Amino acid sequence: MKPVKFSIFLFTMLAGLVFQLYPWSDTGVIIRPDFLLVIMIYWVLQAPYHCNIGWVWFAGLLVDLSTGSLLGQHALTFAITAFLGLIYQRRLVLFNRWQLYLYVIFLFGVQRGLILLLKLFAGSELPDWTYALPVASDLILWQCMIIWFGELTRPKKL
Amino acid sequence: MLKGIHQQLDPQESPAFFIQGPKPFSRLMFFCTLSLVMMAVDARFDYLSQVRQWFSTALHPLEVLASAPNEWGRNINTYFTSHNQLIQDNFKLKQQSLIDNAALQRLATVDAENAHLRTLLAGDAPIIPQATLGEVLHMGRDPFSNIITLNRGSRHHITPGQAVVDEQGVVGQITRVYTFTSEVTLITDKKLSIPIQIERNQLRAIAFGEGKRNTLDIPYLPTSVDIKVGDKLVTSGIDGVYPAGLAVAVVTQIKQSQDSPFAKIISRPIAGVNNHKHVLILKVPESPAINQSSENRQVLPRNNAQHLDQSVVEVLQKNNAAVDPHPATETPVLDAPSSEPGATTLPDSTLTPAAPEHP
Repeated sequence: MKPVKFSIFLFTMLAGLVFQLYPWSDTGVIIRPDFLLVIMIYWVLQAPYHCNIGWVWFAGLLVDLSTGSLLGQHALTFAITAFLGLIYQRRLVLFNRWQLYLYVIFLFGVQRGLILLLKLFAGSELPDWTYALPVASDLILWQCMIIWFGELTRPKKL
Repeated sequence: MLKGIHQQLDPQESPAFFIQGPKPFSRLMFFCTLSLVMMAVDARFDYLSQVRQWFSTALHPLEVLASAPNEWGRNINTYFTSHNQLIQDNFKLKQQSLIDNAALQRLATVDAENAHLRTLLAGDAPIIPQATLGEVLHMGRDPFSNIITLNRGSRHHITPGQAVVDEQGVVGQITRVYTFTSEVTLITDKKLSIPIQIERNQLRAIAFGEGKRNTLDIPYLPTSVDIKVGDKLVTSGIDGVYPAGLAVAVVTQIKQSQDSPFAKIISRPIAGVNNHKHVLILKVPESPAINQSSENRQVLPRNNAQHLDQSVVEVLQKNNAAVDPHPATETPVLDAPSSEPGATTLPDSTLTPAAPEHP
């Protein structure tokens, strides 16, 4: 498996940002996946030599700026999620598909949970169940990433 | 199974053990600290607003790119608007303009009269807000806050704190201004409160947003208060942010419980807080009352009929009885005249459409 080009990584990040900035309508906002999160987590697991925690943190900062929320909120949760992915990266690439899905759902859930926690601390109200919906659309986007950029690189069978 | 795997690894691909730089954990700690510091600084101080401005300006081309498909879709839609639709719209607009003109004629008389009476009483001149037309870009990307983004920013002399209204009533208040765009916090947001007055009896109170429930709450009023379901709430204008007399909400529910000295009053915003494309951004000129108060000169409150001499009020009421049920409203009301024939409309001259700067 050839190493991924840095330009591809940068391009997907930019594309994710554009989708993040797209003016979503009412239902769109509810089911919209966290584009940048999914893309960055994919690259953290697929190409840790390009995408480290710093990049993911920076992507989180971009999300903060685009949503106009408190600067650093998404950055913090993105960094923690990336860390949780990175420490198991070597094991994750050996997982089979379903195990990987489960772990990825866990990662996306953790990110949403952390954001919820931060918002609750800041005095927001508890959102309704639709708050968890984007995890499903995240998974669909994750599958798209796998289709476009390949399964996670695993060591060749001997 | 993994025996001898190290022999097959490409140097690019794997010994991430060695090329990863600092350990993930130390990186995580570093970035966590950084974001915590940023959050604290952003929440407590104002240092980061400039950074936000720069980033937002840098992101603007991407934002334009992202909203391009939407824009094209809308253009194509406009292009294929049917002939029939256009005729209907034209007819409706003509009718509307007739009604508006009738109301405007009355407004001129009432305005002149009002100005005259104010000079007689040595009161302040009525405050007429300037308005800028803004277009809603998107409804906020954060499910937690009630924010909409407009296509007017500091380039167009928008400043934080300006009131935003649509043709029916108050929408919210500008809370953050970027170079090309600005953020409006809706009146239903938890952080926003708005000074109001019951239109029927001029009772003043403050309404608070209730967050996602899309309603306003009027707390701290005693159970015996004279409010009925269906009462219209208008801005009182005593805060210097919202011009007086703009429609805000209609009372939908009043709960009185034995164990609380206060009534629970819920109202529903009149403006289409979540569904409009164009809004007006109002700028209330510096109130002369505020400037002169430092000189200890006694000034008349800007708004209320109660403060006028009772006899003048009677004369006013006699003169205007046929015209306006609320003789003392002095600033333009942005009500749709069709829904309420007594209301006055914003004079044409105060509305400065953004057409010249907007292709």
